[in-house]
Amino acid sequence: MGYFNSLLQRKFKDVAGKRYETIARDYREFLLTEEETVVPEVLSILMPLDYFVKEIPPQLYETLSSYERAKVTLVYIVDMEVIRIVADSLDEKAIAEFRRKREAFGEDLLNRVITSLEGAGLTVTSRMFAGEKFDNILELMKGYDLIAVSKKYGTLTTEIAPLSSVTLKLAQMARVPIIVY
Amino acid sequence: MNAELIAIAVFIITYALIIDERIHRAVAAMAGAAIILCAQIVPWEKVPEYLDLGTIFLLMGMMIIVNTARKSGLFEFIAIRTAKRAGGSPMRVLILFSLVTAVVSAFLDNVTTVLLLTPMLLYITKLMKLNPVPFLVSEIFASNVGGTATLIGDPPNIMIASAAGLTFNEFLLNMGPVVIVDMAIMLVMLSLIYGRTLKVNPAEQETIVRTIDALDERAAIKDRSLFMKSVVTILLVVFLFFIHDKLGLEPAVVALTGAAILLLWSREPPEEILEKIEWPALFFFGGLFIVVGALVETGLISQLASFVVGHVDSTEEAMFIITWFAAFASAIVDNIPLTATLIPLISEMGQTMDVYPLWWALSLGACLGGNGTAIGASANVVVIGIAEREGISITFMQFLKIGMLVLVVTVAAGLGVLLLKYGW
Repeated sequence: MGYFNSLLQRKFKDVAGKRYETIARDYREFLLTEEETVVPEVLSILMPLDYFVKEIPPQLYETLSSYERAKVTLVYIVDMEVIRIVADSLDEKAIAEFRRKREAFGEDLLNRVITSLEGAGLTVTSRMFAGEKFDNILELMKGYDLIAVSKKYGTLTTEIAPLSSVTLKLAQMARVPIIVY
Repeated sequence: MNAELIAIAVFIITYALIIDERIHRAVAAMAGAAIILCAQIVPWEKVPEYLDLGTIFLLMGMMIIVNTARKSGLFEFIAIRTAKRAGGSPMRVLILFSLVTAVVSAFLDNVTTVLLLTPMLLYITKLMKLNPVPFLVSEIFASNVGGTATLIGDPPNIMIASAAGLTFNEFLLNMGPVVIVDMAIMLVMLSLIYGRTLKVNPAEQETIVRTIDALDERAAIKDRSLFMKSVVTILLVVFLFFIHDKLGLEPAVVALTGAAILLLWSREPPEEILEKIEWPALFFFGGLFIVVGALVETGLISQLASFVVGHVDSTEEAMFIITWFAAFASAIVDNIPLTATLIPLISEMGQTMDVYPLWWALSLGACLGGNGTAIGASANVVVIGIAEREGISITFMQFLKIGMLVLVVTVAAGLGVLLLKYGW
């Protein structure tokens, strides 16, 4: 069968030329590989929140509810750098008022998200602290199976930059699946 | 006498080189043509007469249209849509992909069709964890059977139509019923042969459906505007083919007009599109026409035609001989040189008998004969070649067993349909 194989290869080269390589490359862009078709088991989900994440789309709750056995951890981070700037420029009373307002906003957002996630049948825990958003989340995400992060997380977005730079960097660095909503 | 010997020798050597393909078949045909022209067997002033420009320009026009449409992601879109429609059922995947391949092959080039549908078919069979061979052979047979249906479906049909002055509708009316019957027979045969092995358990089927449904066919469209323009142009060209005889236009003119419209409308750089024309294929045709022209010019074809006519008693008998000879010969030799040789023979026979039904017999044999062996048609070579690259082996004997069975049954059924119309 050696002759048949070499004849086939010659004829294939003459008939198809290099077209197949181009087509196969194009297909690879949107067809999942065998590895990618294996649905990963998700038992823990990390969901970073902050001042810029005002609304969570209901579709996200729907998507997360499909991971029935997963535990969701909400992490609200108040930016340490912002607190430092405020501390440098305002008096004690104003700083306390700023912190109180930010924490109240955070508490309110956390409560709303907890209610919605529990309503979707998920177990939820939450934390709030002041820190470095990118560094802390990058460190935290190592212990989770899935990350769900808003495209507005960390910075304001604009029409020409609809994805925050913090989210973009997190998506680039993540070693686990990440949902950007 | 010398001219005859040279013509026969060049013809046989060119054929041998085309079969073996150690030298590119375009180069073999061009070299053969060069010898014929240098030996002045075909005089220079007669070259335009033998070069079938109707075939060459029709192929060129369709190549431009298909290559432009391919850039838009149209074929990938069709492949994903078909996969979704199949709903994860192996038998539905086999039937739907075969039907889509047949329909697309009937209107566009077979090689491009299978080049773009095979990767998707392999992907689905991998998901279903099934042996891909039944799906691949079904795609090959469907491409060859589908291409038989229309004037533009397969190069032999283009050559026959150009030589005999047949219209698109005549092809559809004569070969359409043959193709419908043969497709049905072929699918029944494959389901009987492979049916029991084409099963997945319901739980796995659900996962397969979910994975396929997650594919976004819109993501396959690389250029939405070009996609729409390609679809509109292809539909317009097909419509014009239906009425080309009423408009008094040659099929080649329709194809070239469609190509010009798409180039003008899409604003795609012409250098980029025109360089994708398969020039080797066109030169292959050109060279071949001259090599076969030498047999005509020396009177060999005329002698052979007289011999055949002298030994054939009726049109039915001639149909029978031409169909089976073309079918088995096409399984071994490429059907393009075979058709190029048989066309002048049938034309010569036309001086003493009614050859109209013989054109359909030739089309049937030349197109379906390709199913017989792994190297019988370009679609076979492409699908088996892709499979080989993906680590799936289809041996010559493995293909021969199923291919010859399909060839004999489909050609016999097709001949039966033609004889019902023109014979008994």
